[in-house]
Amino acid sequence: MLALSQPIQPQTADRRLAVQAIGLHKSYGTGASAFLALDDVSIDIAENEFFTLLGPSGCGKTTLLRLIAGFNFPTNGQILLRGKDIAALPPFRRPINTVFQNYALFPHMSVAENIGFGLKMLGWTKSRSVDRVAAMLKLVRMETLADRRTSEISGGQQQRVALARALAPQPEVLLLDEPLSALDYKLRKEMQVELKRLQTETGITFIFVTHDQEEALAMSDRIAVMNRGRVLQVGRPREIYNAPVDRFVADFIGESNILSGRLVGQAAADAHQVRIAGAVATAYGKAGTSGDGTVQVLIRPEHVDVLDSPSSDCIPAVVEDEVFVGTDTRLQLRLNDGSTFTARLTNSPEQEKIRTSGTQVWLRIHSHSARLLGGDHVQHR
Amino acid sequence: MAASQHAFDLKAQPGFSIIARLAIVALYLPILILVVFAFNATSSLGVWGGFSFDWFVKAWHNDLIINAALFSLFLATVAGVLATVMATMAAIAMTRTDAYRGQLVSYALINQPLIVPEIVTAISLLIVFAAVKSATGYSGTGYLVLAHTAFCIPFAYLPIRARLEGMDLTLETAAADLYADPWKAFLHVTLPRLAPGIVAGFMLAFVISLDDVVITDLVKSGGQETLPTYMLGQIRRDMTPEVNAAATMLLVPSILLVTAVHLINRKK
Ligand SMILES: Nc1ncnc2c1ncn2[C@@H]1O[C@H](COP(=O)(O)OP(=O)(O)OP(=O)(O)O)[C@@H](O)[C@H]1O
Ligand SMILES: [Mg+2]
Repeated sequence: MLALSQPIQPQTADRRLAVQAIGLHKSYGTGASAFLALDDVSIDIAENEFFTLLGPSGCGKTTLLRLIAGFNFPTNGQILLRGKDIAALPPFRRPINTVFQNYALFPHMSVAENIGFGLKMLGWTKSRSVDRVAAMLKLVRMETLADRRTSEISGGQQQRVALARALAPQPEVLLLDEPLSALDYKLRKEMQVELKRLQTETGITFIFVTHDQEEALAMSDRIAVMNRGRVLQVGRPREIYNAPVDRFVADFIGESNILSGRLVGQAAADAHQVRIAGAVATAYGKAGTSGDGTVQVLIRPEHVDVLDSPSSDCIPAVVEDEVFVGTDTRLQLRLNDGSTFTARLTNSPEQEKIRTSGTQVWLRIHSHSARLLGGDHVQHR
Repeated sequence: MAASQHAFDLKAQPGFSIIARLAIVALYLPILILVVFAFNATSSLGVWGGFSFDWFVKAWHNDLIINAALFSLFLATVAGVLATVMATMAAIAMTRTDAYRGQLVSYALINQPLIVPEIVTAISLLIVFAAVKSATGYSGTGYLVLAHTAFCIPFAYLPIRARLEGMDLTLETAAADLYADPWKAFLHVTLPRLAPGIVAGFMLAFVISLDDVVITDLVKSGGQETLPTYMLGQIRRDMTPEVNAAATMLLVPSILLVTAVHLINRKK
């Protein structure tokens, strides 16, 4: 019944599904003060997948994880685990473990006791559990700290203990709620690699929450982009980056220039001629016009060449600012329709060119890189 | 609130130090005098006649005092344990559930013994227990245990609740996530973390029971004597420093326990 708002999903049919959310709604509070934290969320997550929930603060990521873990219950909709409805299962009966954002390690237990807690609750024998804890300590490279109190280890080490504790009972699904957000930049990069390694080694389905788009792109098999309780797009990192369905996704993932243009013709089934700021370009995707023939066109900063002389179908622009950022130079430009445009050029020592403010240049859009966006109506409700 | 605390420093107000000193003297001087005269060599409570341990020895060999002390300890232990168990259950029920109707009322009811004047509680209990006594014929220690448990509950409740409120709820969520049913989560996660609060609660309840006079005096049956009620009885007759010695001995466990509570709460 709500199929209209369903996002397009790539095929997962060849793999078994680990988790399915079907038409999930979650509202907090009742009556007039009710707040809809999840609004018709449907996603399929395949077994052995590294699946990321990405979205701004307050968009409902934690809420969705808590529903899957069983800490909260949906107002409406179903959650299936390997095809079975788990609505009736309390969290301690779900073969799903969580790595909490603040780790939630038990402060009155040692590192090893923390890791063994789930096994103890499951009734594993002492010797079996000792072996497993040792294996987990090895997996997260914490062998030497087994007997430490959790208050006596560093943040990164706590993070790994939390991970080992959640992995020890070999859950079918591991939920990770922004597990890296408390770490400094360098440690975060290291842990990204580590997490990815652990996921591959254990073969467990990971559902990973982050609001860091770079982290999501780097780690995920697939990403679900969320905003205001809705899933806007599900896809592989490349798909989401190259073909965002709407302005919100385009803006949220990576840097983007979103220009308004006017449809002037159709080039192919999914390609249109669009007039943008004095030039005609070919843009791909569905044309979601807003009635008067204007369309939104996405052009990534790295998808243009900056020319110093006019050429056919190039957009004229004036340099406003130039920023050197190491590998790249970022050009701040103004187009003749008044809009701004950011271009990113890769630096190389032999062809470094300094363009002062006021220089006239021409932008050539790389072929196949201008995308038509679905229009604003998708996100504003 | 927080801002005004910085702006208004009570310690800097004129007269603060004098008033504080006077208050401390008024509170502790009588106790100090009581303790000093426990060591008096003569039987006077007001004239110093030299130093001696005689009254302590005498009190120690007085079976009435020893029996009263043992009964006090028994009562304080039983009532303390019962009150702590109930206070723990009440605190968990009131901090680990969604807000419910009547939550405020439950809170007020639990703390009722702190608000209602002790003599009122004592007389009400006297009336009720007298009725029960005449109906059942039972006149054992049960009445005292019940009464002490009741007025000890709020004292046990306060530190336990404070500790629970300061505890991170995600630890219990994490336990549930790791296959602990609610009972196991309580046993393995909540209880160990709550232990300092429970110990503090028990100690306070114990001391409060040990020190009580008014309710005990009205509720007790003949022959049931706690140390405070025994001492009260002695004062009415011929008072000697033996009572001071007994009182001093009663002070020791109270001071030790209250200090221990303070240390436990500070350590956290
Ligand atoms: N217990 C609650 N009662 C009422 N509203 C809540 C509750 N929990 C969450 N919300 C609201 O639901 C929305 C989604 O919250 P959620 O915690 O899922 O966001 P999030 O995507 O995890 O955000 P963040 O990145 O900041 O962690 C927020 O607007 C939040 O205010
Ligand atoms: Mg969150």
